Amino acid sequence: MNWIDIGHIDDVPLRGARLVKTSAGCIAVFRTGKDEVFAASDTCPHKGGPLSEGIVHGQKVTCPLHNMVFDLNTGAAQGADEGQIPTYPVRLDGGRILLDGDALANRSAA
Amino acid sequence: MQKLVVIGAGMATGRALEHLLDTAPGAYDITLFNAEPRGNYNRIMLSPVLSGEKSYEEIVTHDADWYEENGITCRFGEKVVSIDRERKVVVGEQGEVAYDKLIFGTGSSPFIIPVPGHDLPGVVAYRDLEDTNAMIEAAGKPGARAVVIGGGLLGLEAAAGLRLRGMEVTVLHLMGHLMERQLDEAAGYLLKKDLESRGIEVRLEAATNEISGDGKVERVLLEDGTVLDADIVVMSVGIRPAIGLAKDAGLDCGRALKVDAQMQTSDPDIYALGECVEFDGNVFGLVAPLYDQAKVLAKTLAGEADAFVMKQLSTKLKVTGCDLFSAGDFAGGEGREDIVYRDPARGIYKRLVIEDDQLIGAVMYGDTADGNWFFGLIKDGTDISEMRETLIFGPAYQGGAAADPLSAVAALPPDAEICGCNGVCKGDITAAIEGGATDLGAIRAQTKASASCGTCTGLVEQVLSVALGDDFVMPTAQPVCGCTDLTHEDVRRLIKARELKSQPAVWQELGWTTPNGCHVCRPAVNFYLLADWPLEYRDDPQSRFVNERNHANIQKDGTYSVMPRMWGGMTDANELRAIADAADKYGATVKVTGGQRIDLLGVKKEDLPAIWADLNGAGMVSGHAYTKGLRTVKTCVGKDWCRFGTQDSTGLGIALEKRLWGSWTPHKVKLGVSGCPRNCAEATCKDIGIVCVDSGYQIGVGGAAGMDVKEVERLVDVKTEEEAIEWVVAFVQLYREHAKYLDRAYKWLGKVGLEWVQEVLADDAERAALVERFDLSQSVYQTDPWAERAEPEAARRFQPLADLTLEAAE
Amino acid sequence: MDTAIDSVTDTFIQVSEVWVPDTETGETLVLAEGSYGELAGFEAASRRESFAKGEGLPGKAWAEARPVVLKGFDGSYFKRTEAAREAGLTAAVAVPVFDGDTLNAVLVVLCGDDDTRTGAIEVWADTDGLLMLDDGYYGAAKHFEWVSQHTHFPRGQGLPGGVRASHTPMLMRDLGSGYRFIRADSAGKAGLTTGLGLPVPVPGGAGYVLTLLSARGTPIARRFELWDARSVKVGRDRAAVLADGVCQREGPLWTDDTQEPPRRVAPWQGQIGKVLATGVPVVTSGNPGLSAGYETMVALPIHDDGEIAHIVAWYC
Repeated sequence: MNWIDIGHIDDVPLRGARLVKTSAGCIAVFRTGKDEVFAASDTCPHKGGPLSEGIVHGQKVTCPLHNMVFDLNTGAAQGADEGQIPTYPVRLDGGRILLDGDALANRSAA
Repeated sequence: MQKLVVIGAGMATGRALEHLLDTAPGAYDITLFNAEPRGNYNRIMLSPVLSGEKSYEEIVTHDADWYEENGITCRFGEKVVSIDRERKVVVGEQGEVAYDKLIFGTGSSPFIIPVPGHDLPGVVAYRDLEDTNAMIEAAGKPGARAVVIGGGLLGLEAAAGLRLRGMEVTVLHLMGHLMERQLDEAAGYLLKKDLESRGIEVRLEAATNEISGDGKVERVLLEDGTVLDADIVVMSVGIRPAIGLAKDAGLDCGRALKVDAQMQTSDPDIYALGECVEFDGNVFGLVAPLYDQAKVLAKTLAGEADAFVMKQLSTKLKVTGCDLFSAGDFAGGEGREDIVYRDPARGIYKRLVIEDDQLIGAVMYGDTADGNWFFGLIKDGTDISEMRETLIFGPAYQGGAAADPLSAVAALPPDAEICGCNGVCKGDITAAIEGGATDLGAIRAQTKASASCGTCTGLVEQVLSVALGDDFVMPTAQPVCGCTDLTHEDVRRLIKARELKSQPAVWQELGWTTPNGCHVCRPAVNFYLLADWPLEYRDDPQSRFVNERNHANIQKDGTYSVMPRMWGGMTDANELRAIADAADKYGATVKVTGGQRIDLLGVKKEDLPAIWADLNGAGMVSGHAYTKGLRTVKTCVGKDWCRFGTQDSTGLGIALEKRLWGSWTPHKVKLGVSGCPRNCAEATCKDIGIVCVDSGYQIGVGGAAGMDVKEVERLVDVKTEEEAIEWVVAFVQLYREHAKYLDRAYKWLGKVGLEWVQEVLADDAERAALVERFDLSQSVYQTDPWAERAEPEAARRFQPLADLTLEAAE
Repeated sequence: MDTAIDSVTDTFIQVSEVWVPDTETGETLVLAEGSYGELAGFEAASRRESFAKGEGLPGKAWAEARPVVLKGFDGSYFKRTEAAREAGLTAAVAVPVFDGDTLNAVLVVLCGDDDTRTGAIEVWADTDGLLMLDDGYYGAAKHFEWVSQHTHFPRGQGLPGGVRASHTPMLMRDLGSGYRFIRADSAGKAGLTTGLGLPVPVPGGAGYVLTLLSARGTPIARRFELWDARSVKVGRDRAAVLADGVCQREGPLWTDDTQEPPRRVAPWQGQIGKVLATGVPVVTSGNPGLSAGYETMVALPIHDDGEIAHIVAWYC
């Protein structure tokens, strides 16, 4: 693991998200109502909608373009929709959000 | 009229006659033979009669009156001796009856093991009321002992009933576990344990050698040498189709009387159904397929096409406190997968059998709540691969904790206002209910609640439901979303009535089933809160769709469009120059819109604060082209320029736009002001459209030109510009306070009626109050969102949180 | 005309009341609701009253964590003796409603002793697997009382034994026939017809069964309902389904669930829904919303394993 500090949890709106640019593409960092953080691809597999602009509810996000809902734990689309977004290890350390650089590196290598 | 003769008044023929009389009343002259000296009763409920938990009267399904009302000739207590198919007559003990069509419903006889002593008095089968009464009689003797041979469904029900009646009961079962045809070993074990806790002795792998006694049953001898004292022996080891009569008549029989899918026997005028038939190699012992057969037979006799199909069956045991459910096929085997759930402390065992991504069998003991759901999956052959992981937890697993949909209404104090139009409180409604009002109509008549705009109908119905329980049948209403059972109208009223001023308050007090809503309810609740509590509640950007959060329209490629406001469609060279500069600087495409303004397309999110700052610099503010709020006021040039113009339509348009901009509404609101009836501003297809005439202003509302095209309806004609503005503002506020989120004005008007709106707005005081509330809201919300977000601190949020592209490259 | 039979004054139970821990301290029982019929004096005395743990009849049921039968108030721990005497009430039964170790409420029913009212309210206690009569009130059914005192039921036998073994309330239809031989015979002679038995869970696991045996002439109730609210029966969404019931006005209340689903109520939906939502018994009277137009209703929750398992209700 190679934890990279990407910012403070307060930089992400409650029940909202922010974007992180990586060489492997854009990643959305989500903050839930219970101050949990998740990281997943920003790109909806359906039509490429920016998930960081979606409405965050429970541990899910709804794509702003066509309302596909993803579980932030697994990246799996919910309900009748099919689809999957990559998720990334992320953790909180004293309010700082840490993203796993190795997982990103793996993704760009893949 | 054709003559129909039915042999056997059982559950199958009873149901067939009901259907037949329903579908083809008067088509047949019906004669019903029954060897038992009574009509039809619900045989599967005999066990509770045996235990004393039901009375015989309660399980009668067709009494003498029913047969008489339906003109059925009953020959009860009379056996049929033979059938003469040549002459088409049924020969009864008391004489012949001719038939055109004949139905066999002769049922089955209990199978009696031919051990020595099986014919002693005191050996009973368990099939009918006579057997039941014989058992009740035997239980009346102090210290009496019963031996039940056969640990299947009926035998165990008999054992439990006899035990409750006070007998010492032993169950003998030949197999290694109870109910082996319906249960697997684990469930059989739990069932045995339960029966033993009731004081019933269960002996497995027990074979009966002999029943003996002096003139009546006294004891049962087992193969292993055990001797059991017995005052009564109940044989419940199985049934045999009763087909003697059919065989004698020369009908084609296998294990039972053979029928096709129309329930027709080998004789085209003779039909059969129930436990006496064989269909496709199957014989029947449970009630569900019998009822299906009854339906098919009635159709066939009525000349309609139908066919019987075999379905999976489910079983329940009728022993109070013993929760058991089994369905389908649950033998193990290659390619079959088991899912097992056990909770030993609570005595729960559940097992599902899956083959080829389909549920094919289910056994449940101790927790049968999801039995019918599993049974449905089995019957329908549903592909369960998607839910395999959580299947065993049942259908409710996906959702959160269950909410009490009525708790919000139950918790309302009596003085909470339910109907805002007529000022009716909950207490008024409950008083009316206590006075005898039991439906919505009576409540409306007595209290006027929901008699005006009707948006509180759902709440009134819920108050009825709380007061009356299931005696009041709730009409099904469309809830907001899966997070709640309440409708939009309910939520709006409850937010007002309970003074809920935050989203967490709404979620908690109204029993949301999810932690914090979903993308459907969050924007709606956010709007309702800010519309009702402009000072106390703060708009939550995270509950807004992306366009409203970013104050720009997201495009399909993830870029945004930016549209500054042009008051009443008026602009000047300075503004146009600034727009041109911005288009150059940010690489935007330029489009003139139908709302008389200019759109800059293709702006990147991180550039938004900068372009806004540039446009702000030239004196322009957000055009709110992205909101459920005031969009634009389209105008024509009016009397300043146009030779037909009657009033200053441009000036009125600008005045309205300056008054209304920045307000949030249930859906978008577009206005148009035309200077004369030629209507160049297309005002008559706007949410609010004003047409100027010589005598003043015609205000129309409820127009639209989207998926639905609607012409406005006339709200009012007024003489002065001030009045026109006052009416428009009051209308917008009424719409804000009452409409369902995402209902355009015309949809809302369709629900509440234009007349109601006219009535409310015609009241000078009410109109003034609406305008005052609108202005109060505007004191908070009429601010330029661009200016706020162009500030450095806010603008930072439009940038990525971090840029790791360099880091990864290292 | 059955109005003579169908009038309120002939019922076996004359007063029903629900006492609940007061909301502030939880240390005294206060009156939540009651049905007093014409006995306004006793009602007024009751509304003034409250009971600490161990005090009076409700307090005793709470402190001793068991149903308590009290016959004859004079010189007893009963606190409202004088008002009861004036109202002609002479016996009372207190049933504590526990959710685990927590007391939710105490249901108290009071009867007037005269020689014309027949019925039985019994408390059976499980002693080493045998249910023995702890105490009971029988009105005029003296012979039946004597028989009952000399009867015991092994688990699984008779109404008390059946309820104990199945952990489920039960409703017996015809007590005069086959409800455990000798007692059945005597029950038949006493005119007892319908029997409701229910488990009374108390902290510590002692086993009590309460039975209400109703006679046609002076019924305890004219309508009985047994609702099943266990999540293993109704699923995760809280609800109760009508498992069994009889009603003099509407006939049998159960349904053959292979044909027709049972009646189901959600929390807060009507009086049963209120019990389901609050876990506290309901006593209501003069409420036109009551099923089949009855005057009075008592609904009692039975808790098990941290949830409301059953609700029994009776109507007059």
